[in-house]
Amino acid sequence: MSHPRSAFGASPSRGRPQRTGRAGSAAAAWSRFAGHFAAYGVLALGAFVMVLPFYYMMVFATHTNTDILAVPGPTWFGGHLLANLDDLLTRRPRFWHSMGLSLWIALAVTGLNLFFCSLAGYAFAMFDFVGKEKFFGFIMATMLLPAFVSMIPTVLLMSQLGWINESRALIVPAACGAVGVFMMRQYIGSAIPRELVEAARMDGCGEFDIYWRVVLPLLGPALGTLALVTFIGTYNNFIGALLVMRDQDAYTMPLVLRSLQGTSGITWGALSVGAAVTVLPLLVLFVVYSRRLIDGLTAGAVKG
Amino acid sequence: MASEITLTGIGKTYSGTARATIADLSLAVRAGEFMVFVGPSGCGKTTLLRMIAGLEDISAGEVAFDGRRVNELGPAERGAAMVFQSYALYPHMTVAENLGFGLKMTGVKPAEREAAVARVAETLQISHLLDRKPKVLSGGQRQRVAIGRAIVRNPKVFLFDEPLSNLDANLRVQMRIELSRLHRELGTTMIYVTHDQVEAMTLGQRIAVFNAGKIEQVGTPLELYHRPGNRFVAEFIGSPRMNILPARCEGGTAMVLAAGGWRLPDGVGLDALQTVGVRAEDLQPGPVGEGAVQAEVRLVEQLGDATLLHLQVPGVDATVAARLNGSVHDWSPGQQVGLRCQADKLHCFDAGGRAMA
Repeated sequence: MSHPRSAFGASPSRGRPQRTGRAGSAAAAWSRFAGHFAAYGVLALGAFVMVLPFYYMMVFATHTNTDILAVPGPTWFGGHLLANLDDLLTRRPRFWHSMGLSLWIALAVTGLNLFFCSLAGYAFAMFDFVGKEKFFGFIMATMLLPAFVSMIPTVLLMSQLGWINESRALIVPAACGAVGVFMMRQYIGSAIPRELVEAARMDGCGEFDIYWRVVLPLLGPALGTLALVTFIGTYNNFIGALLVMRDQDAYTMPLVLRSLQGTSGITWGALSVGAAVTVLPLLVLFVVYSRRLIDGLTAGAVKG
Repeated sequence: MASEITLTGIGKTYSGTARATIADLSLAVRAGEFMVFVGPSGCGKTTLLRMIAGLEDISAGEVAFDGRRVNELGPAERGAAMVFQSYALYPHMTVAENLGFGLKMTGVKPAEREAAVARVAETLQISHLLDRKPKVLSGGQRQRVAIGRAIVRNPKVFLFDEPLSNLDANLRVQMRIELSRLHRELGTTMIYVTHDQVEAMTLGQRIAVFNAGKIEQVGTPLELYHRPGNRFVAEFIGSPRMNILPARCEGGTAMVLAAGGWRLPDGVGLDALQTVGVRAEDLQPGPVGEGAVQAEVRLVEQLGDATLLHLQVPGVDATVAARLNGSVHDWSPGQQVGLRCQADKLHCFDAGGRAMA
């Protein structure tokens, strides 16, 4: 015999005296409130820990070095933002050039990843060819290699190609990633019916036409997510740029910020304003597309 | 212009499987004919349709359109159009774009394309939907768009892969009428795959009954119904399915175990008789006696226009169905019945399930 469900959705436990009436319902309400309080408390603490460095970055960007290093340090915004920005541009006159270079590399890598990863994902999801599974396994295996393994070969290769200090040294090697291929293959396999591809074939589409006119327009959510992840990853890439971008003229933003931390002392105000400016494009992207990012990353995790 | 389709020695074996999905199959579909492929799931009918369309490689044999071998041609080059079970409409395009996509791909100018789309939309009564996306259309409307997409290219052959299976019962009947009308108007060769024998009987000029990768029988709907070539066809075509009873011949009578017997039609090879088949409407229930097979009424179903008796014949596992016209209240569960059947309504089958003349 099944137990009748209580007002709060839980079946009463066997062998335990059951609370009844107003006392029971008050206890359950209190228990629910305590549960919610604890959950929100943990979330709020996590959010606080995450936001705090951003807040201090913004606050430090508006104070002089003396104010920042004082004890206790500043906790609210000051009036030296423009002075710090001026200081930054004096120390790094090519700051805006580096910003543009970083954005160009991130956009180029993102565009190439969207194209090549969706193309490869389409092939792996929709075509049957000899060695398909082995080839796909090989691509996936590259994800297991630590990034440091490929550092020296990358530098040697770029050096031999004569690409040191050129943006293509960061763009070409990152044009197609295993994660993107995997993501696209999973999405296409689950979201694009095979009959749609066959209908296009009956309508006279060539294979590239099917990809370009029928499949690609339907990949919006997956492309959006891949674009965000790739853009953020490339824009933040420090190690890759450190290896192949040696002249200050070729510095990307992570290298510019690192170069402000000299041996003779750090100008925290200039560094903070630089960091704040650097992080702005990412903040805008995140605010505009956060919903899509979360939806895309959890797509297929549960049956809709 | 309609095409004649000739299939000669067609075989299909998927890599990694030893058994052929289709083996040595030959069939000729006449120009302008409405041919239906019918059979249970997994019998190879859709695979054959896809081979005709060019969506599936042909392992053996030849597909010819108007006598010209098309094995090596791509789907679009064969001049065939296909309507898919799931409609397969392009979700990011409007109805007009869906209809005109095939023409666009073949380089038809925009003005001609628009005129063709408008003409087809009018034929299918979907002109008011041209600016909408497929997601806001009902199942029936989507089906019309899918059919329109096939028609607009003016193909030589239409291929339908269970196009009505996602529609509700009322809409299915309506679409069946529409498809028959379209066939009459266009006069194009149509091949229609279904597992629903009612669809097959109502739509097809000829029906090919498939089973386990081969064709059991090809014929007009009434030929298959009245003169099935074997037990499989006899049981597959018709609703309720034909009653099959174990029998042996004794002095010109088919004896159904110890339950009694019916007089056999003239000219049947008597010794080989293994089973007899009789359709529900050909059984006449009456008093137990000479020339009848004895049975017990198990269930009476009143269908309004007819009464269906489910009967148990002693020693036979399956129940036997008898269909009486109108609402009949003469029978009730537990009653003993004598079932009679005219000799010319009896279908006789040998040990291999083949129909005996």
